[in-house]
Amino acid sequence: METQKSSAGDVSLSIDIRKRLSESFSLDAAFEAPPGFTMLLGPSGAGKTTLLNCVSGLLRPDTGRIKLGAEVFFDSAAKIAVSIRARHLGYLFQTLALFPHLTVKQNVEYGIAKLPPELRHTRMMTLLESFRVAHLLGRKPNEISGGERQRVALARSLVTNPAALLLDEPMVALDSFTRTKILEDLRAWNAANRIPVLYVTHSPEEAFAVGERVVVLDSGRVLDQGSPQDVLVKPRHEKVAQLVGFENVFDAIVRSTAESQGTMRCQLNSSGVELETPLTSAEVGARVRIAIRAGDVIVAPQRPQGLSARNVFEGRLVALSQEGATVVLKIQAGVIFEVHITLGACKELGLASGQPIWLVIKTYSCSLLEPA
Amino acid sequence: MDWRPIFLTLRLALVVCVILLVIGLPIASWLSFTRWRWKFCVESIVALPLVLPPTVLGFYVLVAMGSQSPFGRWYQSFTGHGLPFAFGGLVIASVIYSLPFAVQPMIAAFYQVDRSLINASSILGASRLRTFLRIVLPLSTGGVVTGIVLAFAHTLGEFGVVLMVGGNIPGVTQTVSIAIYDNVQELNYAAANRMALLLIAFSFVTLSITYALNRRAWAVPLYQ
Amino acid sequence: MKLTLARINSGPAKTFHAFVLLLILILPAATQAGAREITVAAAADLTFAFHDISDRFQRQTGDTVELSFGSSGNFFSQIRNGAPYDMFFSADVQYPRKLEAAGLTEPGTIYEYAAGRIVVWVPDASKLDLHRGLAVLADSAVHRIAIANPQHAPYGRAAVAALRHEQLYERVRDKLVMGEDISQTAQFVQSGNADAGIVAVSLALAPAMKAKGRFIEIPAVDYPPIIQAAVILKSSREKELAHRFLNFLKQPDTLEVMRKYGFALPKEAAGSERGRD
Repeated sequence: METQKSSAGDVSLSIDIRKRLSESFSLDAAFEAPPGFTMLLGPSGAGKTTLLNCVSGLLRPDTGRIKLGAEVFFDSAAKIAVSIRARHLGYLFQTLALFPHLTVKQNVEYGIAKLPPELRHTRMMTLLESFRVAHLLGRKPNEISGGERQRVALARSLVTNPAALLLDEPMVALDSFTRTKILEDLRAWNAANRIPVLYVTHSPEEAFAVGERVVVLDSGRVLDQGSPQDVLVKPRHEKVAQLVGFENVFDAIVRSTAESQGTMRCQLNSSGVELETPLTSAEVGARVRIAIRAGDVIVAPQRPQGLSARNVFEGRLVALSQEGATVVLKIQAGVIFEVHITLGACKELGLASGQPIWLVIKTYSCSLLEPA
Repeated sequence: MDWRPIFLTLRLALVVCVILLVIGLPIASWLSFTRWRWKFCVESIVALPLVLPPTVLGFYVLVAMGSQSPFGRWYQSFTGHGLPFAFGGLVIASVIYSLPFAVQPMIAAFYQVDRSLINASSILGASRLRTFLRIVLPLSTGGVVTGIVLAFAHTLGEFGVVLMVGGNIPGVTQTVSIAIYDNVQELNYAAANRMALLLIAFSFVTLSITYALNRRAWAVPLYQ
Repeated sequence: MKLTLARINSGPAKTFHAFVLLLILILPAATQAGAREITVAAAADLTFAFHDISDRFQRQTGDTVELSFGSSGNFFSQIRNGAPYDMFFSADVQYPRKLEAAGLTEPGTIYEYAAGRIVVWVPDASKLDLHRGLAVLADSAVHRIAIANPQHAPYGRAAVAALRHEQLYERVRDKLVMGEDISQTAQFVQSGNADAGIVAVSLALAPAMKAKGRFIEIPAVDYPPIIQAAVILKSSREKELAHRFLNFLKQPDTLEVMRKYGFALPKEAAGSERGRD
């Protein structure tokens, strides 16, 4: 058995399920996860772990279908429910679930015990080496560090050559350096073994950094799916915007449209502020919601000239506070804008509360949210 | 001192423990992992000997395996002698009587095994049996051994059930507790004392070893 | 599937092996070759006398008599339920006769081997004046009187009969404490748990009791004679040895031992009690 999967046999994980967990919560999700990293992003309680449990077989959905390529794992209509063992998946729990009474070697060999000894050994060593933990063979989980445990747990899930990999917030307890290194190794492995990887996270940064695809889950529903660019940088749903950290969200009314230019002008509710935003299908007079990241807004003490930005207007700095290395400005311009600038910038400009200040917002920094 | 009651009792306790290990593990494992809605019925049946007076239990065991019962008659035709007043009868009665003492600590031990470890084992392709032998059992050795030791000690001290089912036949069904009782009856306090002390010392040593091992050799190295 | 039991940990595996070893060692040891043995169910009043007699028998013949002591009623039930005794020495004649009627005995082997007597026994420390006989039991100083359970112990029945005969039963019935057999009765009073007891003379004369208290015989007219009969059981596999033991009991030496323990031989008892029954 080769460790490399041929790209001709690429299979996608196809999920379409509904499961009621309690009076107040039910999961209803449908999406595809092709080979590569698909990030499952959402706040706590969104149903991400429930979803993984359904895919792995630990939970049985009420209705729906789960397929991997042509292989059907679950089909409520056809009354098919493949056992956990037979699905041949890899699943890394948040707690890792390393067997505490077995050594690293025994842990990693656990899933391939049926193979002949040499093959078993080769596979195990290859994987351990690619994750740089081959030297820990004889240790028990309580004798190695957190990062090492993560790698061993990953190696254990991958040694069986799973058809798909499920990861439940695997890097949460690690520092960013370890995280990066482990991710590198995982990506390298994935490049050689093209299987779908469903990676659960609650961090938009991680979703952005790691993922080839993002599926946003909230309260058991898929809010959006697509490339990180599409979903996170230009969120279409308010919840996603909130999740991803768009600090400014305004109600607005479309005042005019300019189709040839691909823009429209919207008046922010009950204020004199009008913003030029990308064109959508909304008609003049329609209500829309506009989201702008605090970090996308530029400020200047005087009116700037000759900029490409289409939205330049004056406001008054009403509040100024520091959060870590970021300075948070609250600017009143008919509506309150939240703006983030660096400490250095703030010092250089000599900003003080109460002073007049100019705001600069690019058209493309304005995200039009779909009506909730 | 007459050593026969002591050997007889030790033999009885050992045989009972081996049997309870063999039947107790599956029962305990089923009870801790099943989600059958009627499981409480089985739990109650298993726990029954805990609350039944020994004479009640002895009486029903006698009825169930006496010469009038189908089971008793089958045994008689198979082996040539009856179950009451014989070692076999004592074994059956003791197994029933000590069952909850063996099974309940086992269930408690299985319960406290981290569920995610069991799930991980299934996901890695292990059968239920393999998961039980490789993951659940090693992580609950302490509880299993406690159960067996409790059953052992309990069998050592049985009186009412043994007397009803076994009679008091020296060398065949006269256990230590009955022998002590007999000695007291015959005003032979010295002999009763000797046997009683031996019993206490033996039980104490067994229990001490078990608890000591529970702390050290069988403790599970946890992480995080 | 490889059994991984041995590989789990050395700790549990070692203990398991130790258990198995112990098991093998404890398994039934071979019985001595040649010597035979019978199991005898004997009424509790024979406790000391029969230890004595069975020792003699073993010394003389090399065969063993395994003795089980208890109340005659209990043995009767057990034997009815198939208890594997070879012989039954009851404290009365009724139980052996009932067994014979039920077809559980070797026909024609009922043998009246002795007649028992009851006495009032008090511990040494007691201040009671035994010369007053049974009447002393009605004293307010006596709180608990031990007798054998009349339901299944012939000596208990005799005690109740004697108390009734002397019009004492109603006055003392609340103070009665029942022993499972006459032996336990003796133990109750010897340990001081009862203030006085009606026990078998054979127990009162035993060294263990004799040194610890004093007694007075209850007049024979107070109760029906306690004729004790023995029988060989049909299920016995050592009938020949049982017969030999029965014959041993009829030997003059053995009879002397019985007398020593206060037993009257049936012919003697019948002689003085003709007209009763």
